[in-house]
Amino acid sequence: MTRQNINRFALTLVGVVAFGLPLVLRSPTYLHILILLYLYAYFTTSWNLVGGFAGVLPLGHAAFVGIGAYTSTILSLQYGVSPWLGMIVGGILAAIAGVLIGLPTFKMRGAYFALATIAFSEGIRVMVENIDYLGPFKLNGPSGFQIPPKNIGLVNYMFIGKEPYYYIVLVMLIGVLAFTYFISRSKLGYYLNAGGEEPEAAMALGINVARAKLIAMAMSSFLTALAGTFYAQFTLYIHPKSVISLDLSFEIAFIALIGGRGSIAGPVLGALLLRPVSDFSRIYFGATLPGLHLIIFGTVLVLVMIYQPRGLQEPLTRAYNRLLDKIIGQTAQGKVRHEYS
Amino acid sequence: MGSIYGLTALGLTIIFGVLKVINFAHGSLLMVGMYVAYWAIVFTGLHPYISLIIVVPVMYFFGFYLQDIVIKPIFKAEKDVREPITVIIVTTGVWYILDNLTLLIFGPQYRGIQDNPLRGKMIEFGEMMISVPKLWGFVAAVITAAAVYWFFQKTRMGRAIRATSLDREAASLMGINQFKVYNVAFGIGTATAGIAAVTLVPFYNIFPTVGVLFDIKGFIIVVLGGLGSIGGAILGGIIIGLIESIGPQFMTATWTEAIVYGLFLLVLFVKPSGLFGVKYDW
Amino acid sequence: MNILEIKNLVKDFGGLRAVDTLSLSIEKGQILGLIGPNGAGKSTAFNCIAGVYPPTGGEIYFAGEKINRRKPWDLCKKGLARTFQIVKPFSSKSVLYNVMVGSFATTDKTAVAEEKALKVLKLLYFEDKKDERAGNLTIGERKRLEIARALATEPKILLLDEVMAGLRPAEVDEMVQIIQKLRDQGITIFVIEHIMRAIMALSDRIVVIHFGKKIAEGSPQEVASDENVIKAYLGDEYVVS
Ligand SMILES: Nc1ncnc2c1ncn2[C@@H]1O[C@H](COP(=O)(O)OP(=O)(O)O)[C@@H](O)[C@H]1O
Ligand SMILES: [Mg+2]
Repeated sequence: MTRQNINRFALTLVGVVAFGLPLVLRSPTYLHILILLYLYAYFTTSWNLVGGFAGVLPLGHAAFVGIGAYTSTILSLQYGVSPWLGMIVGGILAAIAGVLIGLPTFKMRGAYFALATIAFSEGIRVMVENIDYLGPFKLNGPSGFQIPPKNIGLVNYMFIGKEPYYYIVLVMLIGVLAFTYFISRSKLGYYLNAGGEEPEAAMALGINVARAKLIAMAMSSFLTALAGTFYAQFTLYIHPKSVISLDLSFEIAFIALIGGRGSIAGPVLGALLLRPVSDFSRIYFGATLPGLHLIIFGTVLVLVMIYQPRGLQEPLTRAYNRLLDKIIGQTAQGKVRHEYS
Repeated sequence: MGSIYGLTALGLTIIFGVLKVINFAHGSLLMVGMYVAYWAIVFTGLHPYISLIIVVPVMYFFGFYLQDIVIKPIFKAEKDVREPITVIIVTTGVWYILDNLTLLIFGPQYRGIQDNPLRGKMIEFGEMMISVPKLWGFVAAVITAAAVYWFFQKTRMGRAIRATSLDREAASLMGINQFKVYNVAFGIGTATAGIAAVTLVPFYNIFPTVGVLFDIKGFIIVVLGGLGSIGGAILGGIIIGLIESIGPQFMTATWTEAIVYGLFLLVLFVKPSGLFGVKYDW
Repeated sequence: MNILEIKNLVKDFGGLRAVDTLSLSIEKGQILGLIGPNGAGKSTAFNCIAGVYPPTGGEIYFAGEKINRRKPWDLCKKGLARTFQIVKPFSSKSVLYNVMVGSFATTDKTAVAEEKALKVLKLLYFEDKKDERAGNLTIGERKRLEIARALATEPKILLLDEVMAGLRPAEVDEMVQIIQKLRDQGITIFVIEHIMRAIMALSDRIVVIHFGKKIAEGSPQEVASDENVIKAYLGDEYVVS
């Protein structure tokens, strides 16, 4: 067996398990937790396109979640447009917003960009909380929208039971991972990495660094907004504090960072490791020790940044490779080709 | 209120000016300062402002060792990164830890000083009524800014800090211990947050997440005033404070908030280096 | 034909005039050396040409076109590549990755970029290091990586800023050979160097600057015997007049 074969086998296995899980796991609670887990993995992977590859620190991605959720919800509730179509419109609006934030800030120090994204997303939240009507569109201020569960059917993005949502978010996650893989091996991926690491050298090698970052930002905000629509259709309730909150923005960014920014598996890994920890500590200690999960989260964040600044994926990848070496039994023959991408 | 924002922003700007890092934990440091002041006042029965003699040194060393223990290792690991994003992230981790530890230890309840000699005191200024503790806050902000300015211009350590902020490699070649300088700068920034905390305690409630509010305002102000500019921090604070105190007379309070964010984004687009900032080196 | 021509270039940093009315030109296929004491303004001149700093005054022409305020990436696409005196590798990536970033300047396809990068590495006797992490290279190897990346963009002219500083003598000789090989392939070369032995052996012509001003120009022999040059390098007090 070669390394490649094992990798392919492991990947197929994970895929089969992921697709088969709802057949075995009938509990809606567990499905719910899994759906949120995949949703977060999707968020962090989308974030990673700009936060990981482009080497900047966006801290306002909840704004794009909100734009996606609100656009499709408003269009479907008030104009009868299918949420699938609204999802695309929301994505485009989010991409435009992302480019608008990036334009003035990508030429500045990274700190500006981080602050601008925070201010932008907080600004949007405050605006939505204050405005009841934006032109012909009803925003409904701080109370948000309750989506009535009628007109069940694929066209209306509305289903009974959790399984359809599970498969939708799973396909979305696989899609965004494949897209990330494709980008990381394309010219754009090389340009983003180069521009993030040494902007001056990158420029001298023919890279318009700010433009590459803008493209990444547009893609990342577009993809994030798509999941905003999913969130709205899944939970059937959105309001400014839930979909445009700073907490959500920070959680997305930090899960990705702990997992390992700039790698493909890192952000997913971060979600896989951290979501359960925070879910369980919230469930079991939420009443007695409030905030414990955030203390854990903060501590993990600090420790990982000090000891593994490239995220947990690095040591785990190394361990995985060593395991493979053992299986193949060629450790003695020595040199393994390492990839730094 | 503007003066408190100004003081918070001043601490942020000192730390940014030297370390080139936005300290996301700054609001939490303010919160810690408020708890220190609160307990100092409760235990000793001192006049709120006298608690400065306890709060300022405590906060200075808190900041000094926070930088020394938590942040320094990252600077060492990423020596050649011009502006380590990792540090921003770590300060956020510190924020989460401090806020929620406080929540665990002291609980979520709001606290205020009981026998407060300053509560509700007003003084007449012609037509205007001005709250006494807020007036003192303003005085404290101006004095602190002047003191910080003097320290950076006139003292040996101050000059070493400025040299490091301009070029950390060159400074370390000249025999300045970069990390010592960072510790001191972080300590001063934190002590400034302590001063802000003491002036805030007489008229503001104390609770674990009180810092977040000032955090975001602080970020907006330092960008408005120009990251790293001491005068800009104070002026930016006063501008935001004025908008917030005058605004509600004409519109709802949340709209005032929207205006503050709008102003921030406007400045970012039109003059990204801030109203009083200098242009950056790239 | 002059591929690069500079007329009265001036660059001020605040009150400091780093480059002062400098004029020079390079013919296609030539190797031009630029020398001068530390802080003379050599790197600054390069940075103006490569579009990093906008010049304070004067004109820069590349292949007949004025390029005063062009951006570095545009210039690179036009065929002007440069290395940095203080090397700037993409440290977390492999050597091959670094060079591929350069070769994407002329292609959009990853496979083509890889092929071209491998060719460049071979040309520079650097193939065996292709999977090495750039951050782990020695200083000599990093300088070579700078050249490899620049070369991968398929330049018409290559600006080399002290690529031999810090190398061992054997490495210097190898570098001289490499540069000559590049010229033989038709690339024009503009080189800043401190190592006299190397620059004398390489250059067709040499320009000497001091405090931003040109003080001498000519063949290596002419420059080496120029009084002003000796003065600039050894200090005024040395000359008894
Ligand atoms: N970005 C800059 N800002 C201010 N001064 C600079 C800058 N770059 C270079 N200088 C100054 O310009 C002069 C020329 O520097 P440089 O071109 O690097 O010299 P050389 O490469 O010949 O050693 C020096 O005095 C240097 O300090
Ligand atoms: Mg130089």
